[in-house]
Amino acid sequence: MTSPGDAAPVKPPPSFSPGVPRVATKTRYPSQRRDSSASLESDRAEPRIGTSPTPPLSRTTSELPLRPASPHGRPARSSTPQAGRSSLGSPIDGRADAALETRSLIIRSFSPVIGVYASSDTDELVRQKGFKDGFWELIRPFGENVPGKLVIRDSVGSSRGWEDYGVRFVDLKESCQPPDGLNQGRNSSLGQVESVLEKQLDSPGTPLGGSVHPNDLLGLSTTSPLYKLYLRQLLSIATASPHETFRHPVASVIATSSRNPAPLESLRQLYADTNNGSRRVPDWIHPEYLRYYVLVHDEDRDDISESTKLYDQMKRHFGLHCHLLRLRSNQCVVTDDDSMQVPECEWLSPSERLLGHAEPLVDLDSDGLLYLFESDIMAIKSFVRELVAQSVIPFMENKVAVWNDRVASRRRGISGRFMSMSRKWAGFGSSSRSSLTGAGGGASGNYNVAHGFYDYDNDEALLRKMADYAFMLRDWKLSGSTYELLRSDYANDKAWKHHAGAYEMCAVSLLLNPLGMGTKTKLENVDQMFETACYSYLTRCSDAPNTLRCLTLAVELLKIRGGSAAESAAKWAMRAMDLGLIESIGQALFSERISACYASRAPVNGVRWGSRRRKAGMWSLFAADMWLRLGKPALASACLEEAERLYADVLGSDGVFPMPEMQTLVDNLRLSVKVGYLEARGLDIKEETGSTDPLDNEETSEKLDRRLNRRSLIVNPLDMGSLALPPVQPTRDEDNLGNDDFERA
Amino acid sequence: MAHPARHSSMVSMSNSIQTVTPQPEKQLPTPQIQTPSQSTPGLRVPSNRKTIYDRHLNRSRNAELSRASFAFLFGEMVTYAQRRVTGIQDLERRLNEQGYPLGLRLLDLLFYRTISTSSSSTLTSSSTSASPPNRPLRILPLLHLIHGPLWRLLFNRPADALEHSVSPDTPNEYMITDNDPLVNTYISVPKEMNQLNCAAFVAGIIEGVCDGCGFEAKVTAHNQPTEMWPSRTIFLLRFGESVMEREKVLERAGVK
Amino acid sequence: MSYYFTILSPTDVPLFNIAFGTSKSGGDGIARFRFPDAAQNTYMTQFIINSSLDMLEEAQWMSGNMYLKHIDTYPPASAYISAFLTPSGTRFVLLHQPPQPNIPASSSTSGAAGSMSMSLSASTTSSSSGGGLFGGGSSGRTSSSSIAANPTAPQTEEAVRQFMSEVYEGYVKTVMSPFYRRGMEIRSPVFRAKVSGAGRKWL
Repeated sequence: MTSPGDAAPVKPPPSFSPGVPRVATKTRYPSQRRDSSASLESDRAEPRIGTSPTPPLSRTTSELPLRPASPHGRPARSSTPQAGRSSLGSPIDGRADAALETRSLIIRSFSPVIGVYASSDTDELVRQKGFKDGFWELIRPFGENVPGKLVIRDSVGSSRGWEDYGVRFVDLKESCQPPDGLNQGRNSSLGQVESVLEKQLDSPGTPLGGSVHPNDLLGLSTTSPLYKLYLRQLLSIATASPHETFRHPVASVIATSSRNPAPLESLRQLYADTNNGSRRVPDWIHPEYLRYYVLVHDEDRDDISESTKLYDQMKRHFGLHCHLLRLRSNQCVVTDDDSMQVPECEWLSPSERLLGHAEPLVDLDSDGLLYLFESDIMAIKSFVRELVAQSVIPFMENKVAVWNDRVASRRRGISGRFMSMSRKWAGFGSSSRSSLTGAGGGASGNYNVAHGFYDYDNDEALLRKMADYAFMLRDWKLSGSTYELLRSDYANDKAWKHHAGAYEMCAVSLLLNPLGMGTKTKLENVDQMFETACYSYLTRCSDAPNTLRCLTLAVELLKIRGGSAAESAAKWAMRAMDLGLIESIGQALFSERISACYASRAPVNGVRWGSRRRKAGMWSLFAADMWLRLGKPALASACLEEAERLYADVLGSDGVFPMPEMQTLVDNLRLSVKVGYLEARGLDIKEETGSTDPLDNEETSEKLDRRLNRRSLIVNPLDMGSLALPPVQPTRDEDNLGNDDFERA
Repeated sequence: MAHPARHSSMVSMSNSIQTVTPQPEKQLPTPQIQTPSQSTPGLRVPSNRKTIYDRHLNRSRNAELSRASFAFLFGEMVTYAQRRVTGIQDLERRLNEQGYPLGLRLLDLLFYRTISTSSSSTLTSSSTSASPPNRPLRILPLLHLIHGPLWRLLFNRPADALEHSVSPDTPNEYMITDNDPLVNTYISVPKEMNQLNCAAFVAGIIEGVCDGCGFEAKVTAHNQPTEMWPSRTIFLLRFGESVMEREKVLERAGVK
Repeated sequence: MSYYFTILSPTDVPLFNIAFGTSKSGGDGIARFRFPDAAQNTYMTQFIINSSLDMLEEAQWMSGNMYLKHIDTYPPASAYISAFLTPSGTRFVLLHQPPQPNIPASSSTSGAAGSMSMSLSASTTSSSSGGGLFGGGSSGRTSSSSIAANPTAPQTEEAVRQFMSEVYEGYVKTVMSPFYRRGMEIRSPVFRAKVSGAGRKWL
């Protein structure tokens, strides 16, 4: 759900950290951001109540079942290291949790985007509260997790409630940038992801640095927080682009405030800007998105009755999509009675994350955190809920129904097929419908070859938009079939990026649809689609970030499917590594992931075969090797332990690899990990005397002790004795001889 | 696959032996009977430069062996096994252990001969095609393999009966009957050793075959004389738990 | 095409290892493995083979054939695994890696050649004495080029099957020796020569 990075700025200053060691450990590795903030302000007996500030409106919804990662849900491996071995073989519920979690993460990464455009007085009001970027920054974190259950109707009329729905607020001007703007950042965006990871790992203040408790990092069956961070970063790279509409605004919040002398005029002006002015969207973005008007009332300075009157006027002029948001304009500080910390944004793009990390350490007075009055938070939450539940989702449902009726059904029928065929030959048909800009420039239908997009009102663009809407409404059946419809069109037009996107999302829809597939042929279909998507993305468009996103989605979703799909997932992960899209930290993370894919393959009941333990163990070892090369012995050690656990079943009772060179590698890895540990410990002692680190040392030594009790290390008793010295190879051999003697006797 | 307990014990045994004598020169990996050669160290190569590897394995296939020499040899084996035994059970165990490695080897030889002689159709009881024989995956084919081809290889005739335990408590028990086992033909057991059946050696062979194929089993030989066949012997095969589990899985998977 | 052939006991203990390259179409019979990372050359073959046992154990009970064909692939190194299972549960595993035309083979693999040189020298010395049966005469077979090009082609499967069968013959003879105990490493130089002879002949 959340990454350790999210919690970074939350790290309690010494004065705040409670004296209980376990709490400290948890905050170092917060499995959930909210828990970490909990330790800040309340004792950990009631971490939840203190942390998720939920308005009365949704008392029931503070605990979203799809957001696991609660500390209770995690396997408490660190505390019971030895008992683990046998029982850990089948952590079924843990695995299921992790799968749901990843699935939810992926689904939420394709959330509807809502633009935010506020009048300058509104932004000014919000800036007073400490939010530099104005209104957008204020509401942004609250959109990511809409409180309460949202009911969505799909195309056949059945409803389903979702607890983990979210929307993404963006500054509207981001959507209005021309596509060229993205092209520059694109090459480096993968590099940025890597930098984020690097920063995360290296910064000593953040939970992941230094001597950490790796079991929390690479929770057995759960996904490691670092990998989750990586995944979230990958999925956050995308900006608005012509080939998919996920980042196109579905709606826009237009806000003014009670300070404004002429609020209605201001709203009209803002609206005009979005239509023709500075906030006009490019040609490939559908301009008819929902406008939602918000009047921000200043509770501290203005008269509510005035504002209410104004609000009534607003409703008369602008219709139902209006909201009166009552906020206090005073800044809230932590010492205020009803102060609550502002939740952090989960979905920061890599570049934002890189920028963001520089700040919080500077200013110790305010500890870089923002607080809001509880009343404000409640007001914003209910605003967001109303916006999404009563306006955005019905709007999208309606659009999907309309387009489905008007465009898709026509195409699905026989006549539609004919039309698409004739269009292919003659270049007329549906293109004649396009009334606005003359898109028919290219010989190949509606595709604007020069700029690489379809105009927003072409059938192809509308269908894609409809499919994306359906996807974001989680109607994967409809979205899948629509993407399928589009694939050949895009191929005919040689619109390769569109083509890749359609294949990608078609496969993703199939995999997300719980009833979608199951038979082997379908799995092969999906593989084929991903193959095509990757080829189009990478070879035809050299779009590395999207290729990697596509591959990662393939890996994760196939892994969730389990069984033979998990194996296929591992293959895609290998492909991703092979294509050279991933840098070193990513490589290590992917190796771990491959291992996890293979490990998730359970043996056939009652017999030995069917599992992929050896493969999983092998990749875990490779990951350990890579971590070591990156200078992260703690992470390497975790991988090594995981490998031991995986190999335990297939190795003999002595835990020795039958193949000599494998054993050599494992021995070397163990040795390096140990040396790395000792070095890290030495450095710790040298550099940080006292301050926070009695805990650290305790942790480290506990860790070392525990490792020595492991069966695999017992093999060399002498090493144990000479722990303080770096162990040397020759000692080892003598030991082995000694053991043989023992066996013989 | 299941690792039979005995496999691993043998492996560890040979491992320890290797560590005792680390130099390869001291071991004779191949049976060379004649004068040492000049070129390769650690190995004696016959003067005609023909090692065992150059001889055809099927040459001795139909070779006859005098029964007398077999009887003498087997008699010596029983005598050898009898040294320092604590009782009849112990003696049978030792005979069984002598037979076990033979079973493992026969298995490979048996399959090799059926591959290399394409005309032969003797291996699986029903096979008439020239395609290479299949490894037994289920219990029944394995039993047929023992009952037919193995017995023919050893005794030049199939065994006399193959039965499955009728008791529902012991679905893992099978019986192979030999009315007149060759090994017992020239052995009359003293009265005080009434229980002894020297066909425990053959039971060991069967056990080796089962184990080699991945069917962990215990095999014992029992006297069941009848009027007509005074030395009739029943070999009782008890398959292990894991084998029965796998049987179920394979049955569901439709593997024959 | 580079090959790494291993005989494994039912308990995964390696009984015999040999690395060799193709002798077809002008190959010099020396293995040149390439792995993403040169440092991996020493252990990668063993890891790949060991990890393919997962697949082997499954294939073992799904088909009664002794030759299980191509059972596994390790995509990062484009290594292919074929397996043969003796009735007594010993596994013959052959790792083959087709040559990659755009990478000069000699540059990346000096490490591999070093680690393999021991086994190779052993086989070459003994082949002078024992391996005369299959001299250079068979190296001119016509099907060879297709083997190198496509590791999963039917011709390749057939060639590997022939190779495996020939090794099996030698293996049975080894097993029959009263001086050989189950689970022991096979150290006979004659056997090694036989295997590399079979490699020259078929692969």
